[in-house]
Amino acid sequence: MIVQALGAAAALGLLLLPLAGIPYTTTLLLPAFGYAIALLGLNLLFGSTGLLSFGHALFVALGGYTAAALTGRLGVRSLELVLLAAAAVAVVVAVPIGLLCVRYVKIYFGMLTLAFGMLFYSFLFKFYVLTGGDEGMRVLRPVLLGQPLEHLDTVAFLTGPFYYYALGVLVVAALVMHRLVTSPFGLSLRSIRENAAKAESLGISVRRHRLAAFVVAAIFGAVGGVLLVVPTGLADPLLAYWTHSGNLVFMLLLGGFDHFLGPVLGAVVFILLQDGVMSLTSYWRFVFGAILAVVVIFFPRGLMGLLDARRTALS
Amino acid sequence: MSLLLEATDVRKFYGDTCALDGVSLRVSAGEFVSIIGPNGAGKTTLVNVLTGLTQPSSGHVRFKGTDVAGQGPVRLARLGMARSFQLVTIFPGLSVADTLAVATLSRLRRSARPFTALARDTDVRAAVEEVAALFGLADRLSRPASTLPQGDKKLLDVASAFALHPEMILMDEPTSGVSTADKIAIMETLVRAAARMGIRAIVQVEHDMDIVFGYSDRIVALHQGRVLADATPAAIRADADVVATVVGRPR
Amino acid sequence: MLFLVAAGLQLVFGVQKILNLACGSFYALGAYAGVSAVRWALGAGLPAPLFFPVLLGAGLILGLIGPVVERLLRPIYERDESFQLLLTFALVLMFEDVIRFVWGTAPHQLGNVYLAYGQVRVGALTVPTYNLVVIACGAAIAGGMGWFLARTRFGRVLRATAENREMAEAMGIDMTRVYARVFTLGTALGTVGGALVIPATAAVNEMGIDLIVEAFAVVVIGGLGSMRGAFAGALIVGVVKAVAIATWPEVEMLAIYVIVIAVLVLRPSGLFARAIA
Repeated sequence: MIVQALGAAAALGLLLLPLAGIPYTTTLLLPAFGYAIALLGLNLLFGSTGLLSFGHALFVALGGYTAAALTGRLGVRSLELVLLAAAAVAVVVAVPIGLLCVRYVKIYFGMLTLAFGMLFYSFLFKFYVLTGGDEGMRVLRPVLLGQPLEHLDTVAFLTGPFYYYALGVLVVAALVMHRLVTSPFGLSLRSIRENAAKAESLGISVRRHRLAAFVVAAIFGAVGGVLLVVPTGLADPLLAYWTHSGNLVFMLLLGGFDHFLGPVLGAVVFILLQDGVMSLTSYWRFVFGAILAVVVIFFPRGLMGLLDARRTALS
Repeated sequence: MSLLLEATDVRKFYGDTCALDGVSLRVSAGEFVSIIGPNGAGKTTLVNVLTGLTQPSSGHVRFKGTDVAGQGPVRLARLGMARSFQLVTIFPGLSVADTLAVATLSRLRRSARPFTALARDTDVRAAVEEVAALFGLADRLSRPASTLPQGDKKLLDVASAFALHPEMILMDEPTSGVSTADKIAIMETLVRAAARMGIRAIVQVEHDMDIVFGYSDRIVALHQGRVLADATPAAIRADADVVATVVGRPR
Repeated sequence: MLFLVAAGLQLVFGVQKILNLACGSFYALGAYAGVSAVRWALGAGLPAPLFFPVLLGAGLILGLIGPVVERLLRPIYERDESFQLLLTFALVLMFEDVIRFVWGTAPHQLGNVYLAYGQVRVGALTVPTYNLVVIACGAAIAGGMGWFLARTRFGRVLRATAENREMAEAMGIDMTRVYARVFTLGTALGTVGGALVIPATAAVNEMGIDLIVEAFAVVVIGGLGSMRGAFAGALIVGVVKAVAIATWPEVEMLAIYVIVIAVLVLRPSGLFARAIA
């Protein structure tokens, strides 16, 4: 009951936030939505299938740069088209990389994905003719659902229509993920995570399922990436750097990877925490490192894990 | 009686070591065949080859007429052959119901359905309950597999293979690691379930001679990669050589 | 001096099966400490050529961080590898700010102190002698490690543990102490590496993070758990970098990752490893 109540309160809070008139907090949460979506995907890979990718940021960056290329270079401003394009690009990139990576498990998978992530980073960094190098590519304000909304200034745009749009995309993404997780496909993934050999002996094609999970995760990552770059208006190579992937994993751990909504919680808490800590000290990395260490050692199941434990203790 | 599994002159080399040296074997519908032999005789290698996990160095393996050498477990499950392992292999974090559901979904070819809600699939639920009842696990459906006692884990392992409704099942030491009292109970459950679920042939690797002689239609004795004898229990018992080599001491 | 860091990584991974992301941070720490130490020493009137031992000393002393960190890592030895990676990642974050705190954000350099050793002509190139000294040092350490692993008792203990941990334990070897020592050794290799490199480059905030990826590339190429592999890997990476910079600069980093991926795919255990994938 407590969990449900908390969840409802949080949802309500998110819905009403822009109306509270604190543009700072509202714009602060925008990246959280993008991250949450990307993390939903990562959680499918890690929580459900047991594959920890240290290169998920690759797809986030892919989404960001797709948005930049489409809005900035090719003049396509419809956000719906950009989102679709990002998803398509993610699929195209994820399939070959996935085919390669899902043959390996655990640490090798982690290393391979890290390598690919860094490969993409160096590509973004060095080929400045195509990608703008370390200056990145500009992302122009997209058109939401066909409404130009030119009359709104940036803050009003971001804290109003865009906020709800992003929240909407997040809700849709969460619903889709929920369906996936509770479907036979989700169960098959979990069986692969628990014992891949046995899953295979029961007739489940391990490689194909893992590849599918990888591609789906990539799509979610790219979609999240698009939403991530709109507020800042810039897509830069650091989006693909391995520490960015590390942060993603951190958020996932923080929120808890057992429950499919853990990522959302993780993203929001991370962003809020980062903001809070940054305002207190410039050594926020140290604090965050310490927090991560504490979480890994004492609360590996994350915040959702804590809530879960409470629930079982009470029942 | 129709021929289900046929292995012809199978050889398997690991480098210079010969694990299987020309093994031929036939299993027909309605048969319960036990493979016996001392450790190192090649029993597990043979099972691996028969179930398509390992590619033989030479020779043929045919299941229902189709060549299955090295085809892999997924393909074989589709063809109708299932297998259980010597060491208990379960899904530790999944519940009993979920474990059986995985097998059932595989049988119904629904494993990859991404958008249907599993909880609402009545076919699957009915099948799961049916198999669980046959194996005496019906009262434990929601328990995580890792919390089951060892004997039940074994049962679950075999039950999930059975849940594929295979035509033939190969079991690698189904009663190993289980107390003597439980062994009979398990075997009874297995045979009854097999009959109810339409499994047409059973092959097992087994060390416990009481079980072997008590349940088999035919016994295949392996020794150093070769078939020493392939006959009914009575004939085997009468053959002193086999008894000495495999069983250990004359009965 | 990629080799030193890579060697440190190898050691820790081979025995403990942990991939320590913070290795790069140790390298950075060594570098910064080295700078400070030498600056102080020179300021105190030390003749220029003697800066080398000071550097070495600073690196070694920093290595003492090893046991402390190891203590921290102990609780998660038994857990899934992903958690180990994450914990060392946490350390990376923390160390980055520690460095920032102690030494600030501007790069630190030693200027041209290293030229005190003069220069040497090798073929058509003029090479600062210091570089040769570093290479020699690296080779010496490599040789030393090889001898150490093969001849000394502790070295043998290490190799046994790497092969089969349970058996080693069963034979009465105290895992905790072994792990502590190994980790310290690995750390020291990192810090010394960082210190030695400093005269030729500047100490920057990001050096730890940048380095770890290269070090990990070296380890993968050479093969996890093999000293010779670390050496070969470092050599390969170094050569590829040099070639790339000379011919097609953009591809420098790309080339290395491509090789990493190729190796991971074709020979997952690397070029020299005997460890199982």
